[in-house]
Amino acid sequence: MKMRYFILIALFFFPLELVQSNAKEVYPNLSEQETRRFVDLTHNLRCPKCQSSSLSGSNAPISIDLKKIIYKLILEGKSNKQIKTYLKDRYGEYILYDPPINIFTSILWFGPFLLLFLTLLVILIYIRNRSTRER
Amino acid sequence: MRKILNVVPLLIFCILLVYLFVLLNEDKNDLTSALIGKEIPVFELPSLKDPELVLENKDLKDLPALINVWATWCVACAVEHPFLLELSNNKGVPIYGINYKDSRKKAIDYLKRKKDPFKFNIFDSSGDLGIDLGVYGAPETFLISQKGTIIDRHAGALNSEIWDQKFRIYFPED
Repeated sequence: MKMRYFILIALFFFPLELVQSNAKEVYPNLSEQETRRFVDLTHNLRCPKCQSSSLSGSNAPISIDLKKIIYKLILEGKSNKQIKTYLKDRYGEYILYDPPINIFTSILWFGPFLLLFLTLLVILIYIRNRSTRER
Repeated sequence: MRKILNVVPLLIFCILLVYLFVLLNEDKNDLTSALIGKEIPVFELPSLKDPELVLENKDLKDLPALINVWATWCVACAVEHPFLLELSNNKGVPIYGINYKDSRKKAIDYLKRKKDPFKFNIFDSSGDLGIDLGVYGAPETFLISQKGTIIDRHAGALNSEIWDQKFRIYFPED
């Protein structure tokens, strides 16, 4: 039984390991930790050409170039923050997958909480009505 | 009160519907450049036609001007080419080219065959200047002010409609 859980949990981590070993083949000379940073960065930066995809998920020429740049900057010893700033200065906030809170995006940030609140309210009213009826 | 409450979900649904519909129709392909208001990135690259000649920022003398990022492998560049010719020949608009990740020979042949609208071309074979400019695909056209700052950027083929909308006022006709 224990073994089964172990395998299940191991399976969970398998895809990530695969990505890391792939990254290692294409972008050599990175330490274990640097490879992890590379995978993390390319997963969390947007491909400017194909905007619903991350850099890591895209083989557009611009994504390949940007991945090379990230690789180069990591080898030069730049921090994640420096690399993100470097790309933001050229490609804008948009590349960061970090949508700003403004009047247009607020529905995405707060909409779910509003819906949750409304649902709770409806349930509350429903339960109340039912209990008064029962009485 | 209860009746009003019953309509609330429908109302929320309708608002969401309209909102998402508007967002879907918005054209997001032309991203705003991060370089607007900034100076042209520093470059030092060979000229397309003369590999020995090194071009720098100070060589962009005739301002205001357009900087056009293009390549022979880029289909939309061939589409906008006649319009670039019209701008430079008939309207006297200075256009500087950045030949982006291309082969020198192909690019020179292309300009011979289709005529050359550019004052000169910067040969950016690695695409590094492209990245400094935030280029994500050719063609892209940058509008450069008298002072050498970037005023606007258009991603995609340039045509007379976009010219009238975005660029024309910066080039008063004589």
